[in-house]
Amino acid sequence: MNDLLAEFLRGFTATNEWTVIIPEIMLAILALGMLGAEMVLPKKSAQSLIPRLAMWGQALILVILVTAGCSYGGDVKSYFSGMIEQTDVTHMMRAFFLVCSILVCYLGQIYLSKQTLAKTEFYHLVIIIAAAMMLLVQSAHFVMLFVALETVTVAFYVLVAYCRNNSLSLEAGLKYLVLGALSSGILLFGIVLLYGVAGNPELAGSSHDSLAYGELAHFINLNADNLLVKVGALLVIAGVCFKIGAVPFQIWVPDVYQGAPTPVTAYLAVASKAAGFIVLLKLLTGPLAGLSEFLVPVLSVIAAVTILFGNITAVTQRNVKRLMGLSGIAHAGYLLVGVIAALTIDWAVYAVIFYLVTYLLASFAVFGVMAHLANSADANQELEHYQDLARRRPFLSGILACGLGSLAGIPPLGGFIGKLFLFVAAFQAGLYGLLAVSVIGVVISIYYYFGWIRECYFGAQLAETETVEPVPFLSADRLMLGALVVGTVAIGLVPAVLPIIP
Amino acid sequence: MTIGLNAFLLVSGLLFAIGLLGVILRRNTLVIYMSLELMLNAVNIALVAFSRYNGTMDGNIFVFFIITVAAAEVAVGLAIIVALFRRRQSVMVDQLNALSR
Repeated sequence: MNDLLAEFLRGFTATNEWTVIIPEIMLAILALGMLGAEMVLPKKSAQSLIPRLAMWGQALILVILVTAGCSYGGDVKSYFSGMIEQTDVTHMMRAFFLVCSILVCYLGQIYLSKQTLAKTEFYHLVIIIAAAMMLLVQSAHFVMLFVALETVTVAFYVLVAYCRNNSLSLEAGLKYLVLGALSSGILLFGIVLLYGVAGNPELAGSSHDSLAYGELAHFINLNADNLLVKVGALLVIAGVCFKIGAVPFQIWVPDVYQGAPTPVTAYLAVASKAAGFIVLLKLLTGPLAGLSEFLVPVLSVIAAVTILFGNITAVTQRNVKRLMGLSGIAHAGYLLVGVIAALTIDWAVYAVIFYLVTYLLASFAVFGVMAHLANSADANQELEHYQDLARRRPFLSGILACGLGSLAGIPPLGGFIGKLFLFVAAFQAGLYGLLAVSVIGVVISIYYYFGWIRECYFGAQLAETETVEPVPFLSADRLMLGALVVGTVAIGLVPAVLPIIP
Repeated sequence: MTIGLNAFLLVSGLLFAIGLLGVILRRNTLVIYMSLELMLNAVNIALVAFSRYNGTMDGNIFVFFIITVAAAEVAVGLAIIVALFRRRQSVMVDQLNALSR
């Protein structure tokens, strides 16, 4: 009996792979610890302590993650019997999500100071989402993919409806809930079809573990013409397209972006979209690689329509949160072009990540300014509120101009370099039609981004009855927003500061 | 008489279609929500059937994950619907359009 136990323990320690997901485990402990801390600490000190705990705790985990990532060799490693797969892409994206969630916690602090809401749970959910997204990009098995994806989505339902004394936030939450659950259902049905077909013993290359990406890739390579495989793959792609907000699955984007609290909008716009794209990349280069002849035309049409739809509808938009949502759809279109290019050009994966990083810096600069300027009615942020901002708040309008300029892709800023890399990748992959559409999209986007900037600098003087009362603007805020803009400019001037493209 | 795999898949596909149409066509949020659950359960039937006929266990285990996630989704979803009903006194979709302008 003892021998048996010893044998079992030896086997257990030999396959002890928990160390590879230590950052995720630490995030979960941090998130739970904050809920505990709120109960234990006296109310006064908890209010100032918990946001700090959230941000500094995550910063510490980021340091651990980056130091662990530096010692990483560069090959593909598989853990937990193929559930998790780590590559250089997943290492970069884990750091990306952590940075995102730190910034969202920071914006959340500004937002929550204007509301009478429970505070700790916000940080808790943000951190849980970060951990789940980190696992999501590493997943190499459909069960893992589904569970991580649903953890992210369910937590997002709560966050979108977080302002529960505001019916706009609740309505956005309900819309996200219905459409998110619908997309999960479609994704699942696709997964099941693939699972069932690939497990069929009568077909060539069938497998006993047909939910794992590797086995599935092998099967699909042999059976690319099977109808069920094609339907399943299409349903899976449709489910993921919901998450990234690509046409024709974009209907939720403007409403949810408008109703959600500003920090949550930023989180959805940057991190959730990034996770969706990495999953899409992984699926297209992994299990669905054998179907690329069939999928590329579909995705190309989606990308072109997405770019045009996002840009054209954003032109007439007066609500800045909806404007960010619709222009976010256009950005998803550019990224989709990068994903299609990545099927033929190896380095296009890194161009996509580079674009995501520049998008992160610029978006959070813009959302940071929005969080500062919004009053307690968070959903009603109109362009009119930005009239003459340059005279009232010169620093903030400078940040806003840099962020919007980068999103539009104006040369000395990071967004330009990001777009350049994507377009060069698309050119090398021979996607000339998509390239033309993207360039048209960028030209349209300059119009509405600069309309916003014009409102700040040359807008008519605001009547004195304005209601937006200035929030105390601390030097920490100045530092945070300044760092984002400095990062954007530095990437624009010297792209090599971001060692992503090998 | 034994029932073949195709019969199960037909039932599953029909349930999924009913659920999808329900989500698209019905106006009451609670009915939409039931339709969403129907879609998930259609998936579960297909999973168990495939699992049985292919002789693999993965599908059965996946079903447990789906049920768990669906339960979490229902908890959050009903909470949101109740909170919204308290604000608006309505759960009809066509009256929840404050955001779309």
